Amino acid sequence: MKLVVVSAGLSAPSSTRLLADRLTAATTAHVDAEVEVIELRDLATEIAQHFVTGFPPARLAAALDAVASADGLIAVSPVFAASYSGLFKSFFDVIDRDALTGKPVLIGATGGTARHSLVTEHALRPLFTYLRALVLPTAVYAASEDWGEEGLATRIARAGGELARFMAPATVPDVDTTAAIAPRSLHGAITSVDPSAGFATGLVPFEQRLAALRGE
Amino acid sequence: MQFGIFTVGDVTVDPTTGRAPSEHERIKAMLAIAQKAEEVGLDVFATGEHHNPPFVPSSPTTMLGYIAARTENLILSTSTTLITTNDPVKIAEDFAMLQHVAEGRVDVMMGRGNTGPVYPWFGKDIRDGIDLAIENYALLRRLWDEDVVTWKGKFRTPLQSFTSTPRPLDGVAPFVWHGSIRSPEIAEQAAYYGDGFFHNHIFWPASHTKQMVNLYRQRYAHYGHGTPEQAIVGLGGQVFMRKNSQDAVREFRPYFDNAPVYGHGPSLEEFTSQTPLTVGSPQEVIERTLSFRDYVGDYQRQLFLMDHAGLPLKTVLEQLDLLGEEVVPVLRKEFANRRPANVPDAPTHAARVEAKRQEVTQA
Repeated sequence: MKLVVVSAGLSAPSSTRLLADRLTAATTAHVDAEVEVIELRDLATEIAQHFVTGFPPARLAAALDAVASADGLIAVSPVFAASYSGLFKSFFDVIDRDALTGKPVLIGATGGTARHSLVTEHALRPLFTYLRALVLPTAVYAASEDWGEEGLATRIARAGGELARFMAPATVPDVDTTAAIAPRSLHGAITSVDPSAGFATGLVPFEQRLAALRGE
Repeated sequence: MQFGIFTVGDVTVDPTTGRAPSEHERIKAMLAIAQKAEEVGLDVFATGEHHNPPFVPSSPTTMLGYIAARTENLILSTSTTLITTNDPVKIAEDFAMLQHVAEGRVDVMMGRGNTGPVYPWFGKDIRDGIDLAIENYALLRRLWDEDVVTWKGKFRTPLQSFTSTPRPLDGVAPFVWHGSIRSPEIAEQAAYYGDGFFHNHIFWPASHTKQMVNLYRQRYAHYGHGTPEQAIVGLGGQVFMRKNSQDAVREFRPYFDNAPVYGHGPSLEEFTSQTPLTVGSPQEVIERTLSFRDYVGDYQRQLFLMDHAGLPLKTVLEQLDLLGEEVVPVLRKEFANRRPANVPDAPTHAARVEAKRQEVTQA
């Protein structure tokens, strides 16, 4: 199975990446999975280019493909201005709108103060609900002060266990064929520039379209 | 193989002078560019259709009618004609009239090509985009192919014993290309009718163009029009040339960096590697263009976008000189050498009239 981790931390070392790694370890303790970590910082320019040109440069396309084909996803963002970071949102803005459908997603966030702790519920959870992901019940928020507290480890362990329980090999993808080949992705579109991916499956034959219009 | 240019008709500030041409200047420039296309030996001039600033070409057949009178050999086409928001009855009549005016030197490219706000300006709804393209085109075909049409549909008032006039020249309607960047439904439509499929091919990666063209070719064969290799394919392209590659890059960069479609994003170098955009010497353009064949197969029409992003008329005319003198003659020869005998040539009115005559004789 494949576990993909999206970390939107900006500094190195990053507490966001640290939380992502802890969540990954808590998950792989229960399930045998190949792990791929995507640091959005490395893709910042390519994400911006995608907005301007309408298609993803190669490395971003590979990252979007990885997320789409994952059996489970861990997504962690730092808190900026009371929400996920703009870079984090931008990455999920350019992903195919069906890429996360039914996919188990463990959400996490880091921040300087515990007063932001409901960001996971106010911001991240609705985002992934909109993307029709299966958002796991336990979300992990880590404020600076949490790193020395026992409670964080407990929450991480619980969250990792939940993700492991729901991860299963991906079934037939439910991808809209029109969207899947559309490079212009203001609502999320292309995840792949791999021509072997193909898109003819699900194409409605022309006679059927014509007949439907004629009310036949 | 046919070679030509397609214009969007954008009015864009020249970033090197800070000045935008007036609409009138831009329209006159487009007319000069079309005439230049013929002068340098290109085969096709195609104009887009837009109904919102900063674009000027809202009335393609008016423009093409003028160009028809000023040229002898150029095929006049569009890139694209809006099959969604235009009345198919008016399209049938306008382009048949243009055929007569231009002695048959006319084909047409259908597209949806509209942003959302344009639909209600013409009494339509963007949510019906694909259905409009299908129903309107089905009616257009009948108006051209049948002398008297009685018709009822979902999107326009019914027709009772209606004859679209003038009838197509020599009883052969303009050849139709269906242009689409990303809708498999349109590739499917082109394949169903055995019409041409044009992929705009600029601004996006080649792998995407390949997918769309492959789909069209497979479905063309599925509908019994021939083998996948015999399907009629057109491609766009985008080039900027100077004798010396570095000069081309230096001169084009400010236009690239400020272009509405990709400016302020990737670098010229990044975009060149990711899309078919070629900025360099004529030889580089030749090599890149020949490589298109590697992923779409042997195709029939290559159009280049040359006059956009605020490039001054003088520069565009110089580009056309380079294209006509140094690039297209080589491409013509090289593509012809590579093309297998069973792949048909690009459709022309004369060839289609002849094919129809033979069909009638045999029947």
